[in-house]
Order: sequence, then C-alpha cells, then structure tokens
Amino acid sequence: MKPPKSSHREETTNYYGQQPSGTIETREPKRSPGARAGKARELYFEAKSSASVEFPYWYTRKWEELEGEIPIVRRGAALKSGFEHLTPVIYPGELLVMGKAAYLRGSYPMPWLSEAFFMAVEDTLYKEAMESGKLTADTFTTVGKGGGNVIKSSENVISIAGKFGLRKEELPILMEVAKKWKNRSVDDVGHKYEQLVPGYKEKEALMRSVICMFDSGYTLPQGREVINYYYPLQYGINGIIRICEEGIAEAAGSPDMDRIYFFQAVILMLQGLKSWILNHAEEARFLSSLEKDEKQKQEYDEIAGRLELLVSERPRSFHDALQLIWIFHTAVLNEDAISGLSPGRVGQVLYPYWKRDMENGVIDRERTLELLECMRIKFTELDCFASMGVVGGVLSGNTFNNLCIGGLKKDGTQAANELEMLILEAGITCDTPQPTLSLLYDEKLPEEFLMKGIECTKIGTGYPAWVNNQVAMEFLLGNYGHEGMQIEEARAWSIGGCLETSPGSWMLLELDGEKHWIPGGSAPATSVGVHFLSLPKLLEVTLFDGLDMRTGERVFPSHGYALESYEELWNAFKGYFHRAVQVLTLTNNIQHDAWRKIAPSLVNSMLKPDCLKNGKDIGQMGSRFNSTFNVESCGTANLVNSLASLKKNVYDDKKYSLAEFRNAIIANFGFKTAQETGSWSLVDQVATGEYHKWKHIHKAALDAPKFGNDDEYVDRIMADWENWFCTMTHEFRSLYDQPLYACQISVSTHGPMGAVTLASPDGRLCGTTLSDGSVSAYPGTDKNGPYALFESASCWNHSLSQNSQMNMKIHPSVVKGREGSRKFLELIRAYMRKGGFHVQFNIVDSRMLKEAQADPDKYRSLLVRVAGFTQYWVELGKQIQDEVISRTEYEAL
Amino acid sequence: MENSCKDCKFYLPVDVCKGICKMEKTDISPDDLSCAKFERLPKCKFCRKYVPEKEFLGSCLGETIAYPDMNASKCSGFEWFQQS
Repeated sequence: MKPPKSSHREETTNYYGQQPSGTIETREPKRSPGARAGKARELYFEAKSSASVEFPYWYTRKWEELEGEIPIVRRGAALKSGFEHLTPVIYPGELLVMGKAAYLRGSYPMPWLSEAFFMAVEDTLYKEAMESGKLTADTFTTVGKGGGNVIKSSENVISIAGKFGLRKEELPILMEVAKKWKNRSVDDVGHKYEQLVPGYKEKEALMRSVICMFDSGYTLPQGREVINYYYPLQYGINGIIRICEEGIAEAAGSPDMDRIYFFQAVILMLQGLKSWILNHAEEARFLSSLEKDEKQKQEYDEIAGRLELLVSERPRSFHDALQLIWIFHTAVLNEDAISGLSPGRVGQVLYPYWKRDMENGVIDRERTLELLECMRIKFTELDCFASMGVVGGVLSGNTFNNLCIGGLKKDGTQAANELEMLILEAGITCDTPQPTLSLLYDEKLPEEFLMKGIECTKIGTGYPAWVNNQVAMEFLLGNYGHEGMQIEEARAWSIGGCLETSPGSWMLLELDGEKHWIPGGSAPATSVGVHFLSLPKLLEVTLFDGLDMRTGERVFPSHGYALESYEELWNAFKGYFHRAVQVLTLTNNIQHDAWRKIAPSLVNSMLKPDCLKNGKDIGQMGSRFNSTFNVESCGTANLVNSLASLKKNVYDDKKYSLAEFRNAIIANFGFKTAQETGSWSLVDQVATGEYHKWKHIHKAALDAPKFGNDDEYVDRIMADWENWFCTMTHEFRSLYDQPLYACQISVSTHGPMGAVTLASPDGRLCGTTLSDGSVSAYPGTDKNGPYALFESASCWNHSLSQNSQMNMKIHPSVVKGREGSRKFLELIRAYMRKGGFHVQFNIVDSRMLKEAQADPDKYRSLLVRVAGFTQYWVELGKQIQDEVISRTEYEAL
Repeated sequence: MENSCKDCKFYLPVDVCKGICKMEKTDISPDDLSCAKFERLPKCKFCRKYVPEKEFLGSCLGETIAYPDMNASKCSGFEWFQQS
C-alpha cells in the first residue's frame, strides 16, 4: 500500500485506497482470436450503440388495431408484427446470424414498458417521472465516455441516455409512438395503482433520496435468470406449435380454458419468429447473389439453408443447435427490456450434438473454437435500451449473459466436459465481455478443468468467476424446497445475470435414439423486487432521524430513538430498513402485476418448464419454481465499518459524541466533495482549509476496526447484519405469494448511490463510490492479506442469501507462471472450503488502469471485472473506474 | 430528391453513423450521396400509400401514423410510388 502522493494529501489522514505509481506490469501474454472473430471484433470496436424504432412502431400499430382483443393474444399478435417487420441484417464473415435490431449493437425502446425517460426533458412525461423520483438516479450516474457509447447528439444522430444513438429521422416517430402509451404503459399503469399502497409517499421519498435505486417492474421486468433451450432443441418450432394446438384442442370450452389464450398467443409469436428467421434466410440468399468470393458465397448459402431448416425442423448438428439457441436467446431479449438473461450451462446442453459431430467427423476442435468465438462476439453485441440510471448506474452498458461451466450432473457426478474446455479456450483467445463465464466450483471437478479456469482468469478477462456449487445448492433447497425441489434438481442450477443463483431442471433430450439429461432454467426472473437499497444512505438517514441531509427532505418519520446506545442505533437502522422493504415490496408487486397484465412474457414463458404443460405464462406462475423476488443491497462494507466506527468511537470508547460525528459528516470531515474534485475514489479527495477542525475525528473514523481483516469486533457486526437481513426478507410476500430473499451484489449501483451519500462514519467521504460487492472490503482497508479477508467474509453462512460477492484485485506478478497458477487455485479453493460463495478477480496493474483513464483510445480492448461482469474499460463511467483503480491490489498471496 | 446511401438496397447498416456497401464492401456513411449502382430500398417515403404530413412524419393512407424513412421491405402493403 502506497500513501497518496501530493503534499496536500500527505497532511491528511485519508490513507485508504491506493494511488498507483511506478512502471506498469503487464498481464500474461494474451492469445488472439481466429481471423474471422478477429475481424468481427474489430467491427464491433468501431460500432456505436444504436437504437431504432422499427419494432416498437409495428408492435404499437398492431396493438392499436386489436383494441378489445384478449390482452395476451393482443400481445402475441403485437410481438408477431414486430418480429416479422424487423429488417434482416447479416454481416460479412458471420457464422451465427441474427440480432436484436438492424444494427450491429442494435436495440430499441419499449414504450409499452416505460416511455418517460427517453422523452425530452421539457416534456410533461419526463417532468412527472422526475417528480416521482423515478429518474433521480439518472442524474447521479456517470456513463462511460468512450467505446461504443453515443454520449452526445450530432447533426444526424440524437443521443439518448448518454449511450444510444438514434437517427434524427426517427425521433419524431419515436415521440409519437411513445405518447400512444401514455397512461397505458406498465410504468404508468403501475404508477397509478402503486399510489394506493399505504405509505406511498414514503416510496417516492426513498427514490428521490436514492436510498432505492430503481423500480424493477417497468425497467427490467425479466432477466437475472437462466434461459431454457430444451423445447426448441427437442421439438423444433413446428413441434412447439403442435404442442400449443393440442393444448388448445384440449382446453377450448373447458372450465380452465384460460390456457387457450396463452397457447394462441404463443402460436402467433412463433409465426412472427418464423418470418423473422426466413427474412434472414432471404437476406442471406440475396447476399449470396451479390457475392463473388466463392467461400463467402457458400457460407451465405449455408446460412440460408440452416435458417430455412430451423423454422420447421429440429437442429441436425452442433452448428444448427448453436444457431437455434442464439435465435431464441435474442427473441427473448426482444420481448422485454432484459438484463441478465443467462445462457446457463450451454456446454452441457449442446454436448450431445458436439460429441456426435466429433465422432462423425462433422466438426473438429478448430472449427468448434471458431464457432465459439463467433458466439462470444454475438453475445458481446447485445445492448439493452434503458434509462441512464439503469444502463449506466446498474448495468455499466453490460447485459450480463452468464455462461456457466462445471458443477454436477443429475446423478451427482462431475459435469465438466471437453466442450467446456473449448468454451474456456474461446474465452481466452477471444476475450470479450460477453458471455461472461462462471465456474460452478465443486470438489469433484477435475484438476485439469480447474487449471484451465485459472489460465483464463489469469489473462485478465475477469472471468470465470468462481462460484461455490454446494453453497448454491444449499440455498436453492432452502428457498425452493417448499415448491418441491429435491437434491437432483438443485444440481441443475446456474447463475442468472451476474451472480443470481437461479433454479434449473433436467430435461430429457433425445438425439439419434439416445437420451441425454440437459440442464436449463426453470424459474422466471430471480431478481426482481426491491432494487437496490443503499445501506450507507439508510444509516445516514437513521443518524439524522429520518431526514435526507443532501436534499433536506424527510424520508421517514422520526424513529423516536435518542440513539444513546449502540443497540438503539442498530434498532433504529433496522426499523427504517424494514419500512423501506415493506413499502417497496408492495409497490413493486403492483408494478409487476401491471407488467404481467399488459406485457406478459411469451417467448421466455414458452421456453420455461412447465408453462407449455400447464398453459400458463410465467406471470401466472406457469414456471416450475416461483419464489423469485428479492431485496438487493448495496454498500455492505461501508455499513458494517460505519457501525463499527460508531460502536467503537461513540459507544464503547466514548471518544466522540454522536453529535460530533453528525457534524463531521455534514462537514465532510473537512474535505471537498467528490463532485467538487471530479473523482469518486477516496484516495483522490482534497482537504479544505477547514480540515484541521476535523482531522482527529476523521482519523478516529478511519482507524476504527474495518471489515476484511479477520477482526472479531467488526466481523461480529457483519454476522449480525447478515443473519438479520437474510431472515427479515422472508417476512415479505411477492406477487406470487412467496417469501422474498436477500440478494447481495452491487453491480454498478455503488457509483450513483455513493454519489448521493454524505460522508459516512467509517471515514468514507461525501460522494465517493461505496464499497463494491457485498463481502469485498472497502478499498485499501483490508491490510492483513487475502486469507484474513476470507476469514472475515465467511463469518456468516452464505447459503442464507441468493449470493454474496467478493471482488479482488491481484497484481499480475503474483500469479505468473505455473507456480503462480497453482497458488492461485489454492487461494480460491481455500475460500470455497470456508463456505465462501463467490470470488472474482481483476488481474491487473492499477497503473495500467490509471493510464487507460488518461488515454482511453490506447486501451479500447482493455477489460476489467466490476461486480459480476466484465466490461471494456472505456465503456465504464468514471465513478466505477475510480473505484476499480482504488481497490486493494494484492502484491502477494 | 437526392438519394443517399441509407435509401439504397445495398446499404448494410452497422450503426447510426456508418454502414457497409453490400456491392463494393466498402465503409460508407448513411448520409453519403448515392452512386451509380444505387437501387431504392422499399421505404415508406417511396410508397404510394404514404402521405407526408410534417418533417419526418406522415401517415399510411391518411389513417395510420407512419414515417418516411422506415424500411418497408417487409410490409405486405408496400407499393412503389415511383421507380428510380
């Protein structure tokens, strides 16, 4: 750890965080993708995120035409119209084709969900959204200034949400289409009815103070789940249509005939999908007709042939199957604004096809690698059109498609296979943000497989994340046992989104007379509900008796405690937390109810067992498992460290009064705010002339026990918090009348949530980014090495929560060579054996990140791990960049 | 009306600022003026049914809102207003 360098800073005691200096240590040499993926990646690097109006136009047009139709059938027809009118585009050299919209990084607004955030700031809709607190987080979010983000408008291009470009010719129609959804969108209808919840005004205050980051019902109503590719693989599209037709015949006129509307809607949607696929086949034929290069011409013809086959038949080969699952993956993303639709255990799903093709000489390893690299490019091209607060403040431009490897088979034997080794290899040769990889660590996994995972992690991709298979299964059995989950089914799990443990099921795939159990997701979004709650901001409001001192607005009524003891402080904090969860659960339930009524899922529902069996969409609990709402938190280490500081300095040692701490917080311990300095990292903050008044209390705050050092004093507080949090969530009921659970990932919310939070009692300064993850230490405060951090992190039972998240930064020199790999694996193993749920790494020299911040053009391809996802450095907002730089960098294991 | 690359059936959009010519395989801008090989892409503004009303907005047969630059190649009701 090196202290800050400037003379002005040396006078302060602000010694947490790290200021990199010296020459840059490079990562281990990287390998390159094949020529095909290399070219595709170059095209990606040049492409801007681009939005279009085609799909929403046709969707809305059909929706209006069908006024009075049964809502779910109307939805099916609207989706059909959207899909069949999408302009097909195929880029040169592609082996896997089709995308969300007619641009390489294409996406589009979905005004049936929400229409306010992309309206002009002077528009009434926008103003109303600001007033209700829906868009407050947007104003405190920084979006990456480089890469593919369209950060400002130009002559012919309009910038939306600081990221998406829209052709100016399309702006008027977008506004017109959006206005058609006024008072009809999920957002508007949900808002109308959420106001019926007692204490609703408290909810608005929570949003305006950014104690809560955003509503999930109309922003990202689906995602953070694992898709299931079984039905298209097993039955093909026509086979699914036949299942629906049989369902209709069986149910029509019977007392439970609600099913017929679902089946009819699925048929309509699938007809749209077939047109969409055939339109691409036609485009491939057209391109072939123009092509002079024989190889490229043949490839276009093969693409056309494959697509023409897949509209009616089951896939014949690994390549067919990969193309088919990509089509359905994209189709789900086109029905809703979705982040975190994870492909799951693709290497196990497609293994039967690949193994057969390998045995028959249809494919070899080289071609497999090429296809897998192409798959990486396609996933990386995905964008999600959302507001600045969501796309920048939560997603950092990522869409969290998490591909899992390893884990166990249905019979309990280890599940890693040769195809997964190639998936890791493709992740090494073609390092891109998507799909990110998670290795489901189990003691039964072979050493060779684990070492391949280490090889991948070491080159600095940030993936695979290492996730504890047994801890996840324990959580799943606890959470879904009452819905019938048994141990065998628990083994089918996967990560949905960046780190959401999601239930799965085994489905019996038949191929050439042989039967194979393949895993796939079997629940809807496993992370909707209360998103996210800022723990440090809640503590701040507790200290000021319900007031948000940044805005002067009252968030809660007085808690009534004098805060004369630590127990009173703890109880007051818990009381406010409880109130926040209570009102937000109810309002979110209403929003999700509006979502399932106005925009029910059809593509995703059709894929999820057992929706096709029971004729219900996921919003009607058609899935096998439905206990899927949660409460997400942010800033755990800051909360715990702040409580420890107050306990130590105010209540135990009585060194300072609580009033003195309040004054110090208001005065930001004598520093400028992060907004004033333009840096969001603690290490870069600058003292004011008033600093001398506060330096002693600031030092006391910084010197108080800190989480991450194997210190019982503060770890006890962590355990108390976790045990309470993970239990209290069960008191609340979701829309599906199931208990909520705790989810503890920061994603990127620690940036904007830190920006609105005053200084905290742990010495963190006003506006600086909060601690990342949930069991990561606050940057620079873990001084006793990684094993001490592991001791602290495992002071509570991680299977009580959907997840815990630990991000670590390791200097490249520490893990160099074969010996470094062994040490690295042992480090991870040690944490897993202690019951740690998750750990992920940035293998990077902080000096490189500093240089990349100064000269982004030179580092277009630099990847970093944030909190459950890998992203190009240049596409991250400065809040998150500063935080990643300041993370503790381990220079020894 | 001058034709631009984005109105051409050989235009492959990469993003809102650039594309690729399917014929020449060169990088082009959507706003570049068209070349000798230009062939119109079916768009609402080239459709007999399109009624312009104000800048970038119009209607389909005076009934349904429409916009001139929409790719109408997948619209079953498209009819050429005037062949290039």
